[in-house]
Order: sequence, then structure tokens, then C-alpha cells
Amino acid sequence: MTTPALSLRYQHIEDTRTKLLLNIAVIWHVTLAVILAVGSTFLLVSLADATIPIAGGMRLFMIISSALGAVGSVFAARFIAKRDHRGRMLSLGINYLGFVLCLILDLHILGVYIGLDVLGGTFKYGLPFLLLAFIGYLIGAWGDRYDNDPLRQQTFRKISRVVMIAAGVLWLFAVGLVDGLIALFAQFNGPLPFILTAGIVVFGVMLRGMWRRPSAEAMHAKRQHEEALSGLLFLSPNLFGFLLFFAVPLLFSLLVSFTNSDAVLKRDFIGLENYRQLLNLTVQPLAAPDQAANQVLDIKVFNELARFNLFGQNYVIGAEDKLFWLALRNTLLYCLMAVPFSVIPALLLATLMNSKIPGMHFFRAIYFLPSVAAIVGISLIWQWLYNATIGYVNYFITLFVNFVNQLSGAALADPKIQWLSDSRYALIAIAIMAIWSTIGFNIVLFLAGLQSIPRDLYEAATVDGASPTQQFLKVTIPMLAPTTFFVLVTTTILAMQLFEQVFILTNPLGGPNNSTLSLVVYLYQNGFQRFRQGYASATAWVLFIVIFGLTLFQYRRQRKTGNAYE
Amino acid sequence: MKPKSYKRIRLIRVTLAYVVLTTVALVMLFPFIYMITTSLKEPKDTFNYPPRLLPREGVTTQVAGKSDPLPLYYVQVDGQDKQYALLESNIRIGVYADPNSPDTTYERPSKDVNPTGGYTNQKTVAFNGKDEPLWDIEVDGQVIPMVQVRQTALGRFVNPQNPQEEVLQNVRLSQPVQNVTARPQNYDDVVKLQNMDRSLMNTMLVTILVVLGQLTTSVLGGYAFARLRFPGRDVLFVVYLGTMMIPFVVLITPLYQMMVSVGWVDRLAALILPWLFTAYGTFLMRQAFLTMPKEIEEAALMDGASRWQILLRIFVPATVPALATLATFTFLYAWNSFFWPLVIINTGNEANHVLTLSLNVLRGRASDAPNIILAGAAISIIPPVLLYILAQRFFVESATSSGVKG
Repeated sequence: MTTPALSLRYQHIEDTRTKLLLNIAVIWHVTLAVILAVGSTFLLVSLADATIPIAGGMRLFMIISSALGAVGSVFAARFIAKRDHRGRMLSLGINYLGFVLCLILDLHILGVYIGLDVLGGTFKYGLPFLLLAFIGYLIGAWGDRYDNDPLRQQTFRKISRVVMIAAGVLWLFAVGLVDGLIALFAQFNGPLPFILTAGIVVFGVMLRGMWRRPSAEAMHAKRQHEEALSGLLFLSPNLFGFLLFFAVPLLFSLLVSFTNSDAVLKRDFIGLENYRQLLNLTVQPLAAPDQAANQVLDIKVFNELARFNLFGQNYVIGAEDKLFWLALRNTLLYCLMAVPFSVIPALLLATLMNSKIPGMHFFRAIYFLPSVAAIVGISLIWQWLYNATIGYVNYFITLFVNFVNQLSGAALADPKIQWLSDSRYALIAIAIMAIWSTIGFNIVLFLAGLQSIPRDLYEAATVDGASPTQQFLKVTIPMLAPTTFFVLVTTTILAMQLFEQVFILTNPLGGPNNSTLSLVVYLYQNGFQRFRQGYASATAWVLFIVIFGLTLFQYRRQRKTGNAYE
Repeated sequence: MKPKSYKRIRLIRVTLAYVVLTTVALVMLFPFIYMITTSLKEPKDTFNYPPRLLPREGVTTQVAGKSDPLPLYYVQVDGQDKQYALLESNIRIGVYADPNSPDTTYERPSKDVNPTGGYTNQKTVAFNGKDEPLWDIEVDGQVIPMVQVRQTALGRFVNPQNPQEEVLQNVRLSQPVQNVTARPQNYDDVVKLQNMDRSLMNTMLVTILVVLGQLTTSVLGGYAFARLRFPGRDVLFVVYLGTMMIPFVVLITPLYQMMVSVGWVDRLAALILPWLFTAYGTFLMRQAFLTMPKEIEEAALMDGASRWQILLRIFVPATVPALATLATFTFLYAWNSFFWPLVIINTGNEANHVLTLSLNVLRGRASDAPNIILAGAAISIIPPVLLYILAQRFFVESATSSGVKG
């Protein structure tokens, strides 16, 4: 869509200030372009120079970005001179990026991020003032009641504001603002902090100069440009975080999985070797069920994983990474135990609670409680509940067995299960604990879903003569399908990432005889105990693919059954 | 259908429902109750079998003539139950019986009993096919030679008011007098042992900063996605949504390497700064902001308000429930996170530990003292639970808003 030439050439009468600012902007962008171009070439030329302490990938990134910045700055200068609105956008973009970059780097050089540790130590001195600030907020909220008396409301608000600001200032001093500032200024040794701080100021001033309304008008900025710029500005903190702490690591994760990185020394590209090693399986026929595995498998590569019998012929499965397959099996087994028993009883209990009997809120509150506590804390509690001699789990079993024996005269033996030290029971123990902690959460989800089913469906069903069971099967379950899908998916995804419970409850890690070794635990062992980070990365991607596959499978099933009712 | 039997059926069903629900509620609560009561127990009390829920402590009393207080036990004196103090334990007691009437036994302290006929020439008698030595036992003034049927060890219990009255009883089979008491000192101990007050402060700092950060970026980002048009907005939002599906495990190795290269390993900064943005929060706030009517915004724009003012003075106050929901979700996530702090912060650097890490170290350090461990666990669990009790609605909202309604 082209605008008529007349409106483009509509001359604004710029005031002298704006004209000055825009001219300065032109000069600034030319200077910036030169600086960035010089920097980029310098980095490019000294690419092989090892004395500069910047990693290869980072250096490449800096070269490209400063080159782009130089080019952009040149264009910006040109467009500003011609009062083309694109110049304003380029200028704002470049200055904003420069501002943010200088700010982040400056804080880094001055050690502000590291200084957060110190804040952890002095935080307790500031607690009373946080309380005071909260009281100030409450005063303001109290004042909101006096809607019919604006004067009173204003007084309350004023008091509230004063109290909160005073509390804030006092808080700053209590946690050591003075010491912090002194330490900060002490860091101003060497040119870099000064350059960066100057950069912050200059970029900031340029931003302000270009953003203000008169400049916008002088540059023929239109409403949708403003909106787009605002949008990007508002999104920028979020976007930076997303790019820096999510997108880049995600990409790197894939790249690292193709290397043999150990996080410190080496990072050689080895292609798909990690994946090959992880997934390498072989199946060999056996002459007899008890034939030694090393007669058919190359024992230097493969470990025996399992044996099975198919149509009378015995086979042995060998895996290069036996522990991975063990972890996969354990994780899937755990999911099979934990997920159905966390979902189906939750659905039934939610249905029970959905009736109009009083006290449902109370029950719902109690059921949700386990989801609020940290898994670490819950695991510690259950560790003692599972204690074979003095734990309550075995005690209740004993009571139950005695009760049954007295009642029926049978002579059942008290099993006295060694919950966490018996390789047959350890995973089951963890599954039971997981069911306990997630069932409440799922009940709440199902309740919400149940309450969104329109009542008239049930009324119509009753009119048609359907029994409660039939109503449950034919109305509730189909209408609940999206909720059920969501609950199933989230429970499964969480179950597949089993880690914390195993870490706390088992010693050695992975449980008696690797019976509780889950995929994430195995990943942790590889990545942070043996420091095979490339391998761990590959394991993570395989796990992701498995989870994705399971989710897709459940999604397909839900589509099929859901379609019937659409 | 007769109304009476219908009511009865309904009553039975309702009662059954309450029974089931209450049982489940008790199962849900029991581990927490166990945690609290065990955290108040004395160390010895924790290993009692059969396990008792309430913390108990043995009652002691002063006995005349003794400087230290002595433990009280339940004893049987002449058929009555009394409470006597244990003065001396492990007194060797012989159980003696007259070989002619071996059903009646007498207990006498071994050191008070003399062998019949003296030590050098002790008489014996044939009893149960063996030659048993005879001992002089005094019964009601008479001295009767008896055989020793068995030996045991008993304790000497005295009446605290009248130390002359004493009785001998098996210590291990005697019930100590115990009162239900609490030992909150456990909390003090665990704080000293594991520097838990520092961990608590660290966790508070990290949680507050992460919550504030996530609220800010989510509000800003949510508003941008909901109300501002910029190129690539919808594509970017779909990408954001997609990232919610990726498990954190995939990112952990490169994030760790990133922390290494920036020098944030072992620092609180690594626990705060990567978590200042959240796709879920942005999604939540976008949904909340989408429900705001456009007219208000347009009117404000025409009045000359800036976007910033519109956001701060109109949108944010109107969506406080969504903000509270996001805040509680983020609070729980930050307070209870374990995997990432475990990876990033060294186990030895206890000054930078958060509560979950402290608990992990405590687990090994106090592995035989459940009262200490569970006191630590209580410190970690109680703040979120308190918050939950106060703001229960928002916790539940944070669960259901994650997409239940499709």
C-alpha cells in the first residue's frame, strides 16, 4: 500500500531542539558504525589469537553482531538524515540493544550478580522492614474501603505510600546498601567499567532523544509504528530471557549432544556417536536357555540385558549401555504404576466430591495440601514412614495382618517389607509416595472439569431414564475428556522425569541394585558425577523424544474418542 | 419409589461418601502430622516400637537422698499400681523354689542369698535329674533350703516420698511414666547444625526476586501479546507455547556450561536470573488481559494516556486474581525447586544453600535422628503451607488455570 507522495513529504515544523537532537543522532550513529566496524574487523583479524579470553562461538557471535550493528547504524544515520521513519526504528532498536548490553555487562563487571550472595547473608536484617512495607500496603488496602469518603481514602493512601517508601529505604540500609555501594565503587578500577557506564548513559540519552513525541513526529512515525515499538519494548525483558536462557541453551543442548563435552576441557564433534552408544542394541539367538552370553555377544561392546523365548527359540538381548535401558525400563514401569493410580482414583474421588454435600471445600483443601510441600521434604518424611522396623507403613500392615488373623483365624505372616532396601519393592515404594502426593492435585483438576459440565446434560439423561452409572459413563467421562487428557499428560510427563524422590530416598543413588535408576537420575549421574555432558545431553534428547511420543500417543487417542462427541 | 426408602438410601450413600472422603483426608494428612510430632520428639523416643505418634518424655522425680532426678516407672505393689522411681538397675535376682513344692517361687537378690552349708561345702539335692545346689532362703522368718530355678536381673524401684518402700521389678518390662511433651529445641538444633536460618534467608531472597521478576516480565509480555500488534507476534506466541512442552532436563547441560562460562556456578545469581522469565506466566497474563474490554483502553488512549500508564493503572489492578495465581505458582516452584540448585551449588558451599539443598545435606548428616531431619523438613514445608492456608483459592486456581478448560 503506497501512501500518496503528498503526505510523505508533509513538512513538520521542527523545533530547534528536535533538530539538534536528530542531528546529534546522525553523528552518533556514524560514530557508532565506525566503532562497531573497527571492533568487528579487529575480532575477525585476531580470530586465531588465543590471548583474548573469549570462546570461539562467542567471538563469532560478537563479530557478526557488531558487523550487523555497524551496517544498521549506517542505515540509521542515512534514514534519520532523510527523516524516514525507518531510521527512527533502527535507531531505537540499536540504541536499546546497546543500552541493555552495556547495562548487563556493567552490572556483571561490577560484580552485582555475584553480590546477590552477600544479600543472602544480610537479608535477615531487612526482614522487619519488609514487614513494615507490607503493613504499609495493608493500610492502603484498608483505606480502599472508604469509597464514600475520598478525603479519608486519600489520607490512608498517603500514609500507606509514606510507610512503604520509608520501609523500602530503611530496608536498603539494613541489608547493607552503604557497604554495597562502597564495594561497587571500589570495582571502578580499569577502563571497562567506565566505558560501560558511559555507554549506558549515551545509549540512554539517545533513546530518550529519539523516543520523545516531537522527535517521533519529526520522523513521520505513524500510530502502528508506535504500537509495534511499544509491543517489542514491553516484550523485550521476556524475550531476552527467553532467548538467552531458553532458546540458546536449547540449541546448544542439541549441539552438545553431538560432542563428547565434559564441560571443562574438551568438546570435540563426534556426530551421532552418543546416540549410537545409547541406543545400541543387538539380539542374538541362543543355542540353549542357559548358554553364556559372551559366546554370542561381543562382550567388549555389549552387556547382557535380558533373555527371552520366542516360538521355542531362545534369544539374548545385548545392549551397549545396559544402564540406559535399565533406566528406561524402570521409568516406564514407574509410570505404569504411578499414573493410572494417580488418575483413576482422582477421577472417582472428584466425582464423589462433586455432589452438593457440605464440606467439600474443606476436603478439597486437605487433598491439595501434599502438592504444596516440596518433594524433598515429602521424601524425607516417607523415608521414615518406610523404615522397616519403626516405620508406620509396616506398623499399619502389622496391625492389619493381626486384625485379619484374629477375625478369620488365618495365620498370615507379617511381611515386614524392607521397603527401600529391597530391590523388588523400592520402585513400588516411590510410586506409592508419588501417588499420594499427586492425587490431590489431580482431584482438584478433575473437580474443575466436572464443574464445567453443563447440568442440563445430566437432567436430560435422567429424563431419558439413565441410571447414575450410565450417566457417569456416557455423560461425565466423555465431557471430561479434555480434562482427563490434560491430567494424564501432565502426570505422565512429571512421572517420566522422576528424579528428586530417587535422589533423596535411595543410597546408593539409583536404589538397591539399580532398581530405582530412572532416566533423569541416569542423566544426572552421567552429566554431573561422571561429567560426560555430551552423553547426558543425548540422553536428555532421547528422553524428550520418548515423552513427546507418549504425549502424541495420548493426544491421538483423545482425538479419536473425543471426535465421536463433537 | 417410596420417599422414605429413597431418603434412607440417600442417607447411606452420603454417609458412605463421607467415610471414604474422611479416610482419604486422613491418609493425606497423616504424613504431615507425623512430621510435626516427630520433629518435637526426644531422640530416644523416635525409635520406639510400636511407633507412637505423640512425642513423649520420661517423667523424672526427686528422691530424698539422691542428687539427680530419677526416672519414674509404673510398678505393681501389693496388687496396686503405683509410680516408683528407678534407683538401681541390673540387680542380679535369683528365682528360688523349694524342691518339694517347686510351683511356688521366691525372688531374692543373689548377693543376699547364702548357700546352704556354706560356700565351701554347699549342699546339693537331686532336682529334675540334676544335682542342684541348695540355697538358704528366708521366708516369713524361716530359712528353707531351695534350688535356684533361674536367674534374672531386676531393678530396684523406690517410693519417691518414702524411699524405704521398695520393690523389685524387671526394668525392661516396666512401663516408664511418660508425659506428652514437646521438644521444640529440635528446631533450634537443626538450625545450628545445618545453618538453616541462612538457607531460609537465601530461599526467601531467591523466591521473592524470582516471583517479582516473573510477575514483571509476564505482565509486560502478556500485555504485549494481548494488546499490541508487532510483526511476528503470533508466530512468536506459538513458539512460546511450544516451549512449555520441553522438559527442563533438556536444557540443564548447556545452562550449566553457560553458568560456568559466566562464573555463576555456586552463586545465588544462577538460581535467580535464568528464572526471571516464564512462558507459562506470559501465557497466563495474556489470557487474563485478553478478557479486558478494548473500549477502556481506547478511551484511555484518546485521553492521552501512555501504554505504560494504561497497563499499570487499568490492566494490572483489574487482573489481580490472575497475578496472585501466577505469584503462588511461581512461589511454589521457586521455594521447592531442587534439581537445578543441586546441580549448580556445590554441596560444600553451605552459605549459598537453599532449603531443599540443606535438607539434602541434613539427610546424610543426621541420618539417625529423624526428629532433627523432620524438624528441618518442617521448616521447609511450613511457610508454603501457611501461605496456602491464607490464599488457598489462588493455589487451586494456579492448578486449574493451566489449561483444564482446553
